[in-house]
Amino acid sequence: MSHLSTHLTTAPTPAAAPDTTGTPMLALTDIHSYYDHIHALKGITLNAYEGEIVALIGGNGAGKTTTLRTVSGMMKPRTGTLSYLGEDVAGKPAHQTMQMGMSHVPEGRRIFAQLTVRENLEVGAYTITDKKLIEERVQEGFAYFPRLKERENQLGGTMSGGEQQMLAIARALMVNPRLLLLDEPSMGLSPLFVEAIFDIIVKLNKEHNTTVLLVEQNANMALAIAHRAYVLQTGEMKLSGKASDIAKDESVRKAYLGDE
Amino acid sequence: MELSVLLPFIVNVIIGGLVLGFVYAIIALGYTMVYGVLQLINFAHSEVFITGAVVGFEVFRILQNSAMNGYLKLLIALVAAMIVSGLLNVLIERLAYRPLRGAPRLVPLITAIGVSLILQDTLRFLEGLQGRFDLTYTLPTGFADKFCATTSSCAPLGNFLRTIGVDVQLKDVILVIVALVSLGLLNYVVNRTRLGKAIRAVSQDRVTAGLMGIDSNLMISATFLIGGALGGVSGVLFGMKFGTINAYSGFDPGIIAFTAAVLGGIGSIPGAVLGGLLLGVIQNLIGVTNIFGNLLGLANLGTIDASYSKIGPFIVLVLILIFKPTGLLGKSNVEKV
Repeated sequence: MSHLSTHLTTAPTPAAAPDTTGTPMLALTDIHSYYDHIHALKGITLNAYEGEIVALIGGNGAGKTTTLRTVSGMMKPRTGTLSYLGEDVAGKPAHQTMQMGMSHVPEGRRIFAQLTVRENLEVGAYTITDKKLIEERVQEGFAYFPRLKERENQLGGTMSGGEQQMLAIARALMVNPRLLLLDEPSMGLSPLFVEAIFDIIVKLNKEHNTTVLLVEQNANMALAIAHRAYVLQTGEMKLSGKASDIAKDESVRKAYLGDE
Repeated sequence: MELSVLLPFIVNVIIGGLVLGFVYAIIALGYTMVYGVLQLINFAHSEVFITGAVVGFEVFRILQNSAMNGYLKLLIALVAAMIVSGLLNVLIERLAYRPLRGAPRLVPLITAIGVSLILQDTLRFLEGLQGRFDLTYTLPTGFADKFCATTSSCAPLGNFLRTIGVDVQLKDVILVIVALVSLGLLNYVVNRTRLGKAIRAVSQDRVTAGLMGIDSNLMISATFLIGGALGGVSGVLFGMKFGTINAYSGFDPGIIAFTAAVLGGIGSIPGAVLGGLLLGVIQNLIGVTNIFGNLLGLANLGTIDASYSKIGPFIVLVLILIFKPTGLLGKSNVEKV
């Protein structure tokens, strides 16, 4: 118990839970995805409502990353339905789903190492043609992450892991997304950076009503800021519900929250 | 040979090498840009380039009796070659490389060699239909003259150059100017425009570029278009410089330009330019080994004449692969985790 409570004290408080009675913004129904012959998602059903932070937790190989990749269109589900803003987007390539207001911060950050920090942000704003608006967004990004401003003309690849994660998030925010897909934003970061990143996620959600689908190994942190959560295990949905309830669940505590 | 003769001689050998080097540089850009986005050595680029040379030949042939200004003829030749070679390159990628996108690397490589051979014979066939094999450029009047020999307004400059022993033709000067303008434009597009940023993003990480809303297939096509258009420019320059070409003339300069791209660091645009210029100079210097041999009284070297000049670039290639495999300006891709 002590383990959990120390983490919870540092986590920011999420906004009040949004209305989840209407049509979800994102709805996955019985999604099956494959990597060649490997059956990675075995019938995933998941919803996210506008303004929610939804956490996706589970161990290695549970299918968390695959779920995000399927949502953003980096991979095509074999069967099942995937609707976003009322439109069927199953198999729509990533460069098209992102034009519908979806931003995906991929696993491992994937910064353009040979581009400067500013250029990374400008590439993030690729779909925006108004130069003034791009500049506004770059400045907004710098306001969220002052560290990036200091590194403006440095090559992306020369920054620390935490700075790269900030850049990856700032880059995804350039288009002012309605749905933000975050894949392991805390991976490999020092506790200080983890806190900063989670603060930003909550702030975004509160200030811009950005819907967040958050994949995390750091389940404590994820459950503390999420409204609802899903627990995945080897490609199947094991559990879903209010994040605070999931955090209390005996089996989850044992498997993912480090309780003995 | 006296020093007063030798010095200008060497200067001219080097200048000739630089002129040739600019042609190599522009060809090398075609290899290096495509490698940048696909990690594919587009062996068909030598034919994309020689197609440009053939288009240039046709434009000058058709316009040979026209009273049109020579520079306008050149501009038409360049633009036509850029369009034909650019579109041809896009078509090659679409038909031959894209279907093999997921295949092992060797597969598209062999395909590229196949495309190269198909294009060679297609060009030979098309020109053969009109009873031609060797194509000799009919350059506008004055292009083959000594630079600033006749025009009174620039005669002082010409005289000055000749006093210090520099001996160049007008077409060499035109060639360098066209090459520099092409480089300037390319630099602008790649580093200053939205398109250029998108191409660089795709060449670094195609999947992530997709997440930024960039249609990577479109950017790959754009890269083939730009690389092909540069190939067209270099084809016309090559035809102007050497005068006579045929469908098979692309192979040698193609492979040397490819070497230039590797020497500079494949994928690096400044590297391709540096590599091209270096190889042009090295090739020209090797080509006059016999003259140095005579000078030094080494009769054995006397047989090494211009026909040996092409070994230079390949010796350089072997050395670079041994001692600096990433090339002079190439970066090893170390990613921070």
